[in-house]
Amino acid sequence: MKYAFFLGCLIPARELSYEVSVRKALPEFGVELMDMKGANCCAPFSIQSVDYDSWLALSARDLCIAEEMGMDIMTLCNDCYESLLMVNTLLKRKPELKDRTNAILSTVGKEFKGKIEVKNLVDVLYGDVGIAKVKNAIKEPFNGLKVGAQPGCHLTKPKRIHFELLRGFNELDSLVQATGAESIPYERKEMCCGGPLRDINDDLSRKVSREKLRALKDAEVQAVTTVCPFCFLQLDLGQLEVKRHFNEEYNLPVVHFIELLRMSMGMKLEDWEIKSHRIPITDLFKGRL
Amino acid sequence: MSELDLNFMGEVADTPRGNGILLCIQCGRCSSGCPVARLTNEHNPRRLMEMVILGLKKEILPTELPWYCLSCFTCLDRCPQGGDVGDVMFAIRNLAVKNGNIPAGVFGQAKALYETTRVINPVRSALEKRESMGLGKLDNEGLTDVQKILKKTGMEKIVASK
Repeated sequence: MKYAFFLGCLIPARELSYEVSVRKALPEFGVELMDMKGANCCAPFSIQSVDYDSWLALSARDLCIAEEMGMDIMTLCNDCYESLLMVNTLLKRKPELKDRTNAILSTVGKEFKGKIEVKNLVDVLYGDVGIAKVKNAIKEPFNGLKVGAQPGCHLTKPKRIHFELLRGFNELDSLVQATGAESIPYERKEMCCGGPLRDINDDLSRKVSREKLRALKDAEVQAVTTVCPFCFLQLDLGQLEVKRHFNEEYNLPVVHFIELLRMSMGMKLEDWEIKSHRIPITDLFKGRL
Repeated sequence: MSELDLNFMGEVADTPRGNGILLCIQCGRCSSGCPVARLTNEHNPRRLMEMVILGLKKEILPTELPWYCLSCFTCLDRCPQGGDVGDVMFAIRNLAVKNGNIPAGVFGQAKALYETTRVINPVRSALEKRESMGLGKLDNEGLTDVQKILKKTGMEKIVASK
């Protein structure tokens, strides 16, 4: 299984540990990740807010690079996923949009053909690798650790590009359960982490995160797991911000799902990876780090 | 008395993501599911749609109203009309930006994209860490292409405006 690996902007800038865990764990399942040379930013919401045609053309340029590689894309970020998936779907469905975008792309010698699919980490692990193979790789299961899974908005929404309501929800839960942990239901699990308003309206952004943290705390989870770097940032570093602004402490360790998987596969996290978590994870995962 | 621009709904509907406004029946399902509307009275997607329908252009485009949405798409899935409220938000934002209303955070990301191909860039220590771990280099070989694309779409002018 080979994928064009779309790294995005936030992960190399702030969450190297996410990338490293993926690069270490996925080869165990026969997944090969090929770097996308010359890829540009996916054109996330900030760029979509500025200009429609720029969004289509920038996303489509990345899709063209994957088409040239002859591989499906795998992204690690819900924002990249939404942008690339939406454009891939729109251009495949609507010939007039495809022509409009290709007219822009012709200035850089590219043409969108619509030959590949866009996938995220959950799609790859659950859909392509398969849950049975994931379960087989678990050597040190978590034995009932109570985990609150945060799917993030664009793993599951909108349904018009996922074809069913909240697709991805159950898949992530199954993957969490596969590690031996228990995926605890909590109120408003489908709710946003608040990330998209960071740097636009920080006060509201924090208030949304706080709602999420409260719901997780109420459900008495021991840890939170995310599959999107924005959700991770918002819920991990976000706890310090919520503490500073609202004087509320949650102390919920947050781990990338791939880290949870790695630990349950018996792979130890390195010191710098452990330290990249703002809410300490050392007590909870003692003996596994 | 507010000044009404009766063409405003048409203007929004004519943008690529804005035609959902024509389907709005003001039922309020968008607002009742909106995580931001729960937390502040400033944001209310149904009311914003109503303001567009009424033609309250000047009360929307130069203000903060376009910039409260999280783009979580809860409203988009809830709209019984298939009115794609979350998409209409982008149509309103695109018009707001054309009117010079662009938050600093959004402008900063757009500028960074134009200058580096990425909206967020690593600090030096992150790049050094990357190199020490033998991870693939972050290239910006796409820069000429990105700049050509943004020149063609006209977004270059917005980025260069400040």
